[in-house]
Amino acid sequence: MTTTTAVTLSGVTKEYGTVQAVAGVDLTIRSGEVVALLGPNGAGKSTTIEMLLGLVRPDQGSVQVFGTSAVDAIAAGQVGVMLQSGGIIEDAKVGELLTLVAGLHRKPLPVKEALDRAGIADLADRKMKGLSGGQQQRVRFAMAIIPQPDLIVLDEPTTGMDVESRRDFWASMHAETARGRTVLFATHYLEEADAYADRVVLMRDGKVTADGTAAQIKASVSGRTIRATVPGADLATLAALPGVRTVETRGDVVLLQCADSDDTLRYLLSNTSAHDIEVTSADLEDAVLAISAEQETLA
Amino acid sequence: MNLDYLLFDIKRTLRNRRVLIFSILMPLILFVIFGMSLKQTDTEAGISAIAYVMVSMAMFGSLSAAMSSGGVIAMERDGGWNRTLRLTPLKPQAYVVTKVILSLLLAIPPLVVVFAAGMIFGHVHLSAGQWASVALVSWLGALPFAGLGLVIGYVAKPDSVQPITGLTTMLIAAFGGLWLPVESMPSLMKHIAEFTPAYWTGLSSRSALSQSGLDMHALLVVLGWTVVLGAIGLRRFRADTARA
Repeated sequence: MTTTTAVTLSGVTKEYGTVQAVAGVDLTIRSGEVVALLGPNGAGKSTTIEMLLGLVRPDQGSVQVFGTSAVDAIAAGQVGVMLQSGGIIEDAKVGELLTLVAGLHRKPLPVKEALDRAGIADLADRKMKGLSGGQQQRVRFAMAIIPQPDLIVLDEPTTGMDVESRRDFWASMHAETARGRTVLFATHYLEEADAYADRVVLMRDGKVTADGTAAQIKASVSGRTIRATVPGADLATLAALPGVRTVETRGDVVLLQCADSDDTLRYLLSNTSAHDIEVTSADLEDAVLAISAEQETLA
Repeated sequence: MNLDYLLFDIKRTLRNRRVLIFSILMPLILFVIFGMSLKQTDTEAGISAIAYVMVSMAMFGSLSAAMSSGGVIAMERDGGWNRTLRLTPLKPQAYVVTKVILSLLLAIPPLVVVFAAGMIFGHVHLSAGQWASVALVSWLGALPFAGLGLVIGYVAKPDSVQPITGLTTMLIAAFGGLWLPVESMPSLMKHIAEFTPAYWTGLSSRSALSQSGLDMHALLVVLGWTVVLGAIGLRRFRADTARA
């Protein structure tokens, strides 16, 4: 490996009609990183990945993969991709499909090895259309590792998998990252980003809103969540308190995201009939919510 | 082209027998119906009438087989398979070339089967040279239809591709004089026939059996159709590949 940068996106934008799918993304991924692209549906994750892979041409900005264009990096077998859905041939057998993909690459992983690593050795003679969603995802995963790529890109790889399949899938994935591959995966599952990524890139409305380790992102939201039962709570007053970022209610239960929970607690105890109060520090989900809320306030 | 890809497609086609059966059984049945009602002494356009029907039906089978790859292309485009291929080192041109070669391979079995039926049941006697020549010219006659399959594959949607291909095949075969001899058509129909590629493929194939030798004019028109349909197909393919 002569270069230490796997992917560079510089100021890429993409508009579909009046929708700004990606509104200026700068992202550098170093070799060996495992990066989660996290965000809700419509955040621009898929479009960003499509531009990274050269499937979609950015309106502005530039994309480099291993110092060259995506097309050249793909032609050199440096990139393995697992897209969200489609992209397979329904009437082909698993073994045939993998043999074909291996035949298209210069230094492919032996098909048997790919089947084993994806945990689908028993499916080689099955047709794609008879497989469950999770099984098909594993075939896509096998297709992604066949090139023996330096970079693996996965767009919501565990969509449609049950909990157990997801765990198995990430175990297979972990074996690949242990081989030093660079990985970029899009997900809207926070726990996946938290558990499997070295670095989390948070996207919203076509922009990167946070970028760092899961721990850094959690820490960036220094606040706490207060959960309390407050009968007849005056939400507007609560929301206006200096330390409060957002207010949510579930019946009489009020959830307060706070930058400074101490002041809020004092207020709750002295001015309201709040009881059953719990204070928790932010987990990644709270952090994501808080960052998103900040974005909304700014907008 | 990519050999692994070609083998992959051949295996799939052999498993999906509908195309093969349709392209072989249809012309075979038509040959039996039309050919067997003829006498050995009957002639049409200067050659044995049975041989005439044999060549026409063989051509009909091979052109419908050659066009069938259009259906495969339309399905694969729709299912996102082309996106998957773009994420491999396979060049888009190699994909098209592989499909054209597949079309030409699929065009062979109908020719072989109908010619064999002509030899065995129709008692068509030809010299080895004539058999080779009619087979080769008929096979070349499938080229424009491989191009047409490409066009349909890049224009049609998966749910419309079957009817479009079926209808086009029938119209071309009927108006091109493959089902009924052009010689027995009213003059208006003859003029219409001249605008179909099937008329020229039939003409050039049958000329391989006539005393006067190969009809080079007809053969050139066939190659002209190949260039035109192939160019349209490639344009559609480029537009499809460039769409981002």
